[in-house]
Amino acid sequence: MRQAGSYSGILISGKTGPHLLPLARIKKIMKKSGDGVKMISGESPIVFSKACEMFIKELTQRSWMVTMQGKRRTLNKEDVASAVMATDLFDFLLNLVSEMDTSKSS
Amino acid sequence: MVDEQERLLPIANVGRIMKQILPPSAKVSKEAKQTMQECATEFISFVTGEASDKCRKENRKTVNGDDICWALGALGFDNYAEAIVRYLHKYREAERDKATQNKASCSRSSQDKDEGDSSEDKSDQQPHQQIDVPTPSARV
Repeated sequence: MRQAGSYSGILISGKTGPHLLPLARIKKIMKKSGDGVKMISGESPIVFSKACEMFIKELTQRSWMVTMQGKRRTLNKEDVASAVMATDLFDFLLNLVSEMDTSKSS
Repeated sequence: MVDEQERLLPIANVGRIMKQILPPSAKVSKEAKQTMQECATEFISFVTGEASDKCRKENRKTVNGDDICWALGALGFDNYAEAIVRYLHKYREAERDKATQNKASCSRSSQDKDEGDSSEDKSDQQPHQQIDVPTPSARV
């Protein structure tokens, strides 16, 4: 039976493949993203599942390049921050990564 | 604590996606995964905000897949937008096929959606029953 009001995951007849990210969580995040967001079509979390996958892969790749430049094999959070700072497209993350930096507990 | 994790994409899923693109011998620190969680979550908010603004300006209540594609393009994620337009197209086709097949079978029309759901567009809410859970949303 379909669970009321939430998807745990949706397998779409193999054509678009299973989703790597939980749709219900994506929807929750979307709803919290602003006062204006009231209604979300069913396909939106599915679209984001794909978009996030692409985003994570791109940021990971760029971060890994920084890791390699440092001749390391472990990708750490500073590498992610460096990748963000080096990429104009990721300017919207600048506050986020610099915040995390200053809230280091050591 | 649970609250904090609830507002982010699950770290297990994020980690899995990261691994897909990295060489097998690569290691990822936990903090890096956490950072990625935050970034990906922020990405969703960022793009959704833009898509939602557009809907508001056009007096539409529902953010749909096309709006998200548009927002991706508007914010500079052109290559994502292109790929996703194709993805969305395939998805909608698959949905149409399913709808045609399911006409005879007893699939309840999705009345039990919560207040956030709406399908002003033709692609109905997924009428399929609970199926595979491809991602065990690891609630840490």
